[in-house]
Amino acid sequence: MKLNIDEYAHLRSPIHAWQPRYKLIGLGALMFAVAMVETLWLVPVIMGLTALLYGLSRLPWRYWLQRLRYPSFFLLGVILVLPLMSGETVLWQWGPLTLWQEGCWAVVLIVGRFLSILTLSLLLFGTAPFLQTVKAMRSLGLPATLTDMLLLSYRYLYEIADQFLRMKQSMRLRGFGYAPTRRIPLIPQRRDLQVFASLAGTLFIRSYEQSERVYQAMRLRGYGNSRSQLAERDRPRLDPWSAIATGLSLTMAIALVVAEYWIGMKA
Amino acid sequence: MHLPDGLLSAPVCLGGYGLTGLATWYSLRQIQRDPDVSRNMPKASLLTAAFFVASSIHIPVPPTSVHLVLNGLLGTVLGYYAFPAILIGLLFQAVILGHGGMTVLGVNAVMMGVPALVAYHVFQLRRVWPWGSDRPRLGVFAFLAGALGLGLAALIFFALVMTNIPAAMDAQAERTAIYGLTLAHVPLMLIEGGFTAMLVLFLHQVKPDLLGHHGTP
Repeated sequence: MKLNIDEYAHLRSPIHAWQPRYKLIGLGALMFAVAMVETLWLVPVIMGLTALLYGLSRLPWRYWLQRLRYPSFFLLGVILVLPLMSGETVLWQWGPLTLWQEGCWAVVLIVGRFLSILTLSLLLFGTAPFLQTVKAMRSLGLPATLTDMLLLSYRYLYEIADQFLRMKQSMRLRGFGYAPTRRIPLIPQRRDLQVFASLAGTLFIRSYEQSERVYQAMRLRGYGNSRSQLAERDRPRLDPWSAIATGLSLTMAIALVVAEYWIGMKA
Repeated sequence: MHLPDGLLSAPVCLGGYGLTGLATWYSLRQIQRDPDVSRNMPKASLLTAAFFVASSIHIPVPPTSVHLVLNGLLGTVLGYYAFPAILIGLLFQAVILGHGGMTVLGVNAVMMGVPALVAYHVFQLRRVWPWGSDRPRLGVFAFLAGALGLGLAALIFFALVMTNIPAAMDAQAERTAIYGLTLAHVPLMLIEGGFTAMLVLFLHQVKPDLLGHHGTP
């Protein structure tokens, strides 16, 4: 199960050199500024801006396309449904099918915002090791219990995913899914549900038992004494490049919000 | 069932983060009351990872298959840890798989997490329910918790989608669509409820400790 988000965190680029704590502030502000865009004229601006930042990061475009695989179903749904379902001005009509102008504009807006925010998220999480980004969240006030849960879940995610794949493989080797059974359309079989419930239940029990051993190992290393946490709340010193990058991204975010407000007022 | 980035306006996204902050604060306050929080935290963390992995299970429903949301089940097994667990799971899904997104993380957490907390309280009702023997009662309340978790999440999901499409849409058509799409989820609620009941009965038989005593693992 390949889940690595930070496989390109080792590259060298201006975005990689940006300290995670300040990158979180700068790119986070930019993401919300993009979410505020309601004007069509600003869609090429936000897409150009995010493409420029992505180019600066030196992350491969293949990586961007890989991350687009799951959300592409949503994009396809929006592109197919919205222009035919929503709007007031008819662009084209053929029998019961009507293409609405407002629906088409809505598609451009939603898809533009979606691609821009997705790209900014990739820049945020793909250009630094995930653990450093979590520590940056902690330094910005994420509660200690939540940070510890996040770190531990991430630490064991791959291990549990591998266990799960092995269990599913064992099920297949024992013939599950291959036995000739008569299936009624649209009705799930009780036996299938029972087998999957046992599979998930076994995974939970294994994780639960492993957590006992993890807890004992953590106790031996001092966890739980004097309120020690896995991630300390440290604040790294702001280096000159991170200050410039954060300042620039905050300026761009404010400029987008002001432009949106100004165009909205004129309209 | 995740709202993606770009669909909702910024005020709705920020409102989602605000509500998530409140729900997280409330859940963490309840968790801190647990006398053995440092022991239960690793359990909740590893179970969070296990739930994330188990959410990839697809149940065959000929001619296709459906995947489970498991938020009701999270509520029944993790209690107040369910909300932070869902928040973490959604962050993983947004970052690793591209499901959901960073600006809508708060909205998605409320959509999945609040029904999980409701499911937890529904499951706890079995303790005060005077009728029926232990095992059937456990199954019935687990079924209700699982089905309700998905049903409430679907209702919030469709209400948000229909009221946030940035183009003119008839209010009556909007209402009809929300009710229609939620009703279309009733068969899925039955599947989710059945799966939750079977899994809870399995855990009760094999590892009853996992179901906890006070809503914590």
